[in-house]
Amino acid sequence: MNSEAAVRGEISLMEGGDALPRKSGDLVFHDNWEKRAFAIAIALYENGYYDWDDFRRILIGQIGASGETALNPMPDKPGYYEHWLNSLEELLKEKDILSLL
Amino acid sequence: MGQLFGESIVTEEHKHSAPANPYLEKRRNGEDTENLERRVAEIESLLIEKGIVTKASLDRMVEIYEKDLGPMNGATVVAKAWTDAGYKKRLLIDATAAIGELGYSGLQGEHMVVLENTEKVHNVVVCTLCSCYPWPVLGLPPSWYKDAPYRSRIVIEPRKVLEEFGTILPDDVDVRVWDSSAEIRYMVLPRRPLNSDKLSQDKLRDLVTRDSMIGVKLANSINE
Repeated sequence: MNSEAAVRGEISLMEGGDALPRKSGDLVFHDNWEKRAFAIAIALYENGYYDWDDFRRILIGQIGASGETALNPMPDKPGYYEHWLNSLEELLKEKDILSLL
Repeated sequence: MGQLFGESIVTEEHKHSAPANPYLEKRRNGEDTENLERRVAEIESLLIEKGIVTKASLDRMVEIYEKDLGPMNGATVVAKAWTDAGYKKRLLIDATAAIGELGYSGLQGEHMVVLENTEKVHNVVVCTLCSCYPWPVLGLPPSWYKDAPYRSRIVIEPRKVLEEFGTILPDDVDVRVWDSSAEIRYMVLPRRPLNSDKLSQDKLRDLVTRDSMIGVKLANSINE
């Protein structure tokens, strides 16, 4: 693959409740902070600070706890990238990543 | 193989597509947005300070995932096949290996088969039961590919569906519809555009669209 970052299937192809929001195959971001949070999580993963499954486990837990599903949309619940950011912060704590930096 | 022509054949096990994502329409108010921005900025500035990331690398990361680069990988494969007869031969014999030569891999045990469009044969790819798709070369499937109308109609009335995509083929062209499965992923090698002999591989690559590698359109012509 190219020396620069590549799209990784384990991230791009997450299926189920934690699937990245997409429209016609393209990712959907509503605000710039969502893009930053998305990229930060991937950058830390690409730099070897954690396994993607660790992040995914927390993300799935967050989304599961909200009770919202595709078949049962709940407009008042947090959006995807709130769950993502919560998961990122939890992971940073769990792995104590900030102290490793 | 999974070729269909005018009738539906149900192939082995397919994994069914998930329903639509519930997050597409979510919006927040200004105050919530400010809080979220602040939380992200805190993490980001720490990482920048420590030299883990740069603003530019984060932007680039988003860009890569937004466009998935998938179709670009496929376009590189096609442009190489158009300009390198030896590569094209290897691609048509063992697509998984030939695509791997360019560094694109990540299929999980599925085989890639590349179908060559010619003057007399036009190939189109579908997954009739769900949305199997050769993502390492084409990225994520467009939504219409996953929708029931395309999945059923391309088999029943391929020419009509192609017309709706703006692709009108002469009557003597044999239209072949191929059904992807958990085991085999198809990609179409579109015909090289007319008068493109002088173009470099890079320029040729720009003419290769995702839709042309699914087979619902032709590669762009030089003037497009």
